[in-house]
Amino acid sequence: MNRIESPAASTANLQLRQVGKPLVRTDSPTKVYGTAVYAGDLTMPGMLCAAVLHSDRASALLRHVDTSRAEALAGVHCVLTAADLPPSQGVMTDMPGQTGGLTKNTKQPILAKDRVRFCGEPIALVAAENAAIAEQALRLIDIEYEDLDGIYDPFDALAPGAPIIFGDDNVVASYKVRKGDIEKGFAEADFIVENTFTTQYQEQAFLEPEAALAWVDEHEVLNIRSSTQVVEHYRAVADAIGLPHNRVRLRAEFVGGGFGGKEVMTIEVWLALLALASRRPVQLVQPRERSFLSHGPRHPFTMTHRTGVSGDGKITALQIKLTSDAGAYAKLSPYILLYATVGATGPYRVDNLHIDSVSAATNNLPACAFRGFGTMQANLACEGQMEEIAKLLGMDSMEVRRRNFIHTGDANVTGQIIRSAVWSDQCATQALATLGERPTDTQTTRIGHGVACYQQSYGRIRWMKDSSEAWVGVEMDGTVIVRSAVTDIGAGQSSALAQITGEILGVPMDQVVVYFGDGAVTPLAGTSTASRALYMSGNATKMAASQVRKNLLSCVAGYFGVKIEQLDMCDSQVFIIDDPQRSIALKDCVKLCAAEGVHRHNLAIFRAPTSEGIDPETGQGEVFPDFTYGAHAAQVAVDIETGEVKVLKSIGAHDVGQAINLRAVEGQVEGSALMGQGFALCEELILKQGRLQTGSLSEYLIPTSEDVPEIKAIVLESRSGLGPFGAKGIGEPVYAPVAASIANAVADAIGVHIFELPITPEKVIKALREKESTK
Amino acid sequence: MLPPFELLEPHSLDQALKMLATSESVPLAGGTNLLPDLRARGEAGGRFISLAALDQLHGIEHSDSRVLMGARTTLSDILHDPLMPTAAPSLVSMAKVFAGSMVRNAATVAGNICYGSPSADVVPPLLSLDAELTLASAAGERTLSLNDFLLDYKKTARRPDELLISVSWAPPTTGTANLFYKLGRRRGDAITVVGVAVTITIEKGNCTKARIALGSVAPTVFRAQEAEEALVGGPLTATTIGTAAQAAAQASRPIDDIRASADYRRHAVHMLVRRLLTEAWQTAGSQHD
Repeated sequence: MNRIESPAASTANLQLRQVGKPLVRTDSPTKVYGTAVYAGDLTMPGMLCAAVLHSDRASALLRHVDTSRAEALAGVHCVLTAADLPPSQGVMTDMPGQTGGLTKNTKQPILAKDRVRFCGEPIALVAAENAAIAEQALRLIDIEYEDLDGIYDPFDALAPGAPIIFGDDNVVASYKVRKGDIEKGFAEADFIVENTFTTQYQEQAFLEPEAALAWVDEHEVLNIRSSTQVVEHYRAVADAIGLPHNRVRLRAEFVGGGFGGKEVMTIEVWLALLALASRRPVQLVQPRERSFLSHGPRHPFTMTHRTGVSGDGKITALQIKLTSDAGAYAKLSPYILLYATVGATGPYRVDNLHIDSVSAATNNLPACAFRGFGTMQANLACEGQMEEIAKLLGMDSMEVRRRNFIHTGDANVTGQIIRSAVWSDQCATQALATLGERPTDTQTTRIGHGVACYQQSYGRIRWMKDSSEAWVGVEMDGTVIVRSAVTDIGAGQSSALAQITGEILGVPMDQVVVYFGDGAVTPLAGTSTASRALYMSGNATKMAASQVRKNLLSCVAGYFGVKIEQLDMCDSQVFIIDDPQRSIALKDCVKLCAAEGVHRHNLAIFRAPTSEGIDPETGQGEVFPDFTYGAHAAQVAVDIETGEVKVLKSIGAHDVGQAINLRAVEGQVEGSALMGQGFALCEELILKQGRLQTGSLSEYLIPTSEDVPEIKAIVLESRSGLGPFGAKGIGEPVYAPVAASIANAVADAIGVHIFELPITPEKVIKALREKESTK
Repeated sequence: MLPPFELLEPHSLDQALKMLATSESVPLAGGTNLLPDLRARGEAGGRFISLAALDQLHGIEHSDSRVLMGARTTLSDILHDPLMPTAAPSLVSMAKVFAGSMVRNAATVAGNICYGSPSADVVPPLLSLDAELTLASAAGERTLSLNDFLLDYKKTARRPDELLISVSWAPPTTGTANLFYKLGRRRGDAITVVGVAVTITIEKGNCTKARIALGSVAPTVFRAQEAEEALVGGPLTATTIGTAAQAAAQASRPIDDIRASADYRRHAVHMLVRRLLTEAWQTAGSQHD
């Protein structure tokens, strides 16, 4: 593990006692011992089990839904269809942030009424005494369909005369970027390189499927305890069923993996309806095969890059077309397309640029948020194109990258000036160097090295006006409480708040308890999405803790007759920096404050930078708060007879700004290495006429423990980020370059690029045959 | 969720065979195929006979001339048996890449064979070793070759009243190479795209016996006999190996599915048979040098 610290960093002299250290996360022991409670572990007296009937047609009229036989089954408490729902007839699938703003057309029926638009669309809900009865009831629901023509390809959906699934023209969203003078740029080019890259559906495949428990309590408050990334969905639940916002309490348990799949509401509103109808607690844990249908997978993208380059490798013009398959409902497709658009040039400066991007509706599974959120698909094309340009010019691809990297102070795709450090070169150089020597080829295997860089935003889109609140307080015995509604989705979100608070208040991390994820009693923190949880809630918590520190030190300063600046806090003591023997225990300090009526707690709000959107004609404007940069490098062995690809080494090098917990950062890099490997090589949701062909974990192939290569994390710290202590977001960024690095390594090994993911053995053989035949 | 089903739990082989004779039921060993099937069907299942308590079906016996493996031997048992690397090298190679360790602990040799799947990984190695199966019923026992046992897609020669109780084969002689390769879409827990087992015996520089067993490329695991015949009688050369590999590919009748196309599978058979034969020739030949 290498760490490089920037001597120029603004807080370079700050002495950190806990932040950045690989301390044991507060959530680790309970997870290791198996005592952590997940939503599916919860139980209540009188609890019913739910089950959901999903459509098995992709495009059909619902002629008749007859639930009478299911309702007559002993042990069934209620069966709900669209006919039983409140008039709102829809649930928000947007992410309104803290201000409630919505994009158009993002309501989705809670249950299908009159027609189904994708295979898997929910039609009916059952609550029964136990899961077996609920399943049996599903089989007793009679449905009469009338099949309709469907559209299963976004290009078909955009063709004139296509049946309309969404809006007036099946266009869910589109963006334009017009920058510089593209004609002039192409005229100046010595070469023009054009390639089309495609990516597939990817399933989040979290260990824990959707799970929740809902009940109406003695105060007529609807309670939901759920596996979610977003407790603010309590508002959407309330709106969908016509309850006041203050009568819905949504609590997030530890989440066994989110990756964006639990960002838009999944099962919560179904359970809310069943709990209200049955007046009993109702639980649902989606079986795996239905989990595949209950959130949105990663969008397939088709991406064409036409790049003008000068003989010395400088990009003179770039024209990009992006098309994504949104599936049957909008969900977050407009935002994801925006991320892809902003990320389309990767970490490179392109002054003459045209981008046209569109997301089209089809009768496929509605795609939605997934780690990387469109950026990683766009980045894959960009980084593949870098290799193709280098090959054409006969240059080293890192050299081509170096001639085009964006730098601090440059304008990105949308004209936003990059303010933080851009260490793309350092990261890529180190990652590649860490791959070491190539093993020698054998008669049947070829070794390849590949690298990919990226630019990935952290923090939400600026016009969402994002904010996060946190509360920090010190108890009379000197122990500390943090309250934040942040959801803990397994990346150490709550632990990081304990570590930051411990740092500021000088208490060991295990003396801090974080109460998190309660939409009613912990201060709202916003989503654990967009690589924002640490950035936003870390800052809010640091602000609250710093205010408490100030309050405490002001009392001690008076007690010792010194200035606040002369005091420091460590090991639950407050001491005079120049005379550490003069100290007071934190618990005594708290007593002083209490006696003087000084607040020992603070509620802080952190607000992200905001702006008002982009120009629709040029795409220019500030979209994100900031960006993370880094690189991933891979070493692969390709069997040229069978086409099998084995990843031997997988190295992530990232400028994380400031690691809060080093071990957690490494965990993110390691997880991303495998998730990206799956995307590059074996994961693919295959749909046939909208019907899922790979709806189980024996058919949908995520890498297993036996597929793990040697993984290394290289953590660089520029301390230039907008997060606490200069941290940048890293949850998505570390994932952004992985698949591209593997694709590039395969191309390096076999001498031909495969433009279509996943790179199956079959595609390798096909590419080798084509290469052979064009010789 | 797993729908309800009836489970009979005999304490002896006799009792189990009586149950099989009198009730329509399916023997349940590790359950790694039957239970996922039941779950996928979603409807209340039929009747299973648990083989868990039948001690007679456990254990592996080695003698100079024969290996006798109880039908309830698990894939993990194969890996833990110290004599197996010489008694059936291909079987050990196979067990190492069979599913993942949890499945290996439960899945049994007999279950994998009797399920009759073309992608049953246990079958190609045993087929390449000329394994024989002993089936018992209330009426008595019979022994037949594994080759004759496999009839068609998920169809075997087992009568509903019969139980596969043991598998046996002659351990490879000196000068014999016995190899297996599994081509999957990932390393762990993968359903086989192409499985190949070969056994080659070399005596005085000539190939005296050849077995090529192919998995996942036809309705059932099968022996590419034309390819085998192309090898016997002389030394293995690049030419004879190439001819045999081609014949094996031609004998394959694969399908297109979510894992691979038929075309690719045929290609992979060609490549893997060529590779394993080349390696077998080198290994077996060197045992005499």
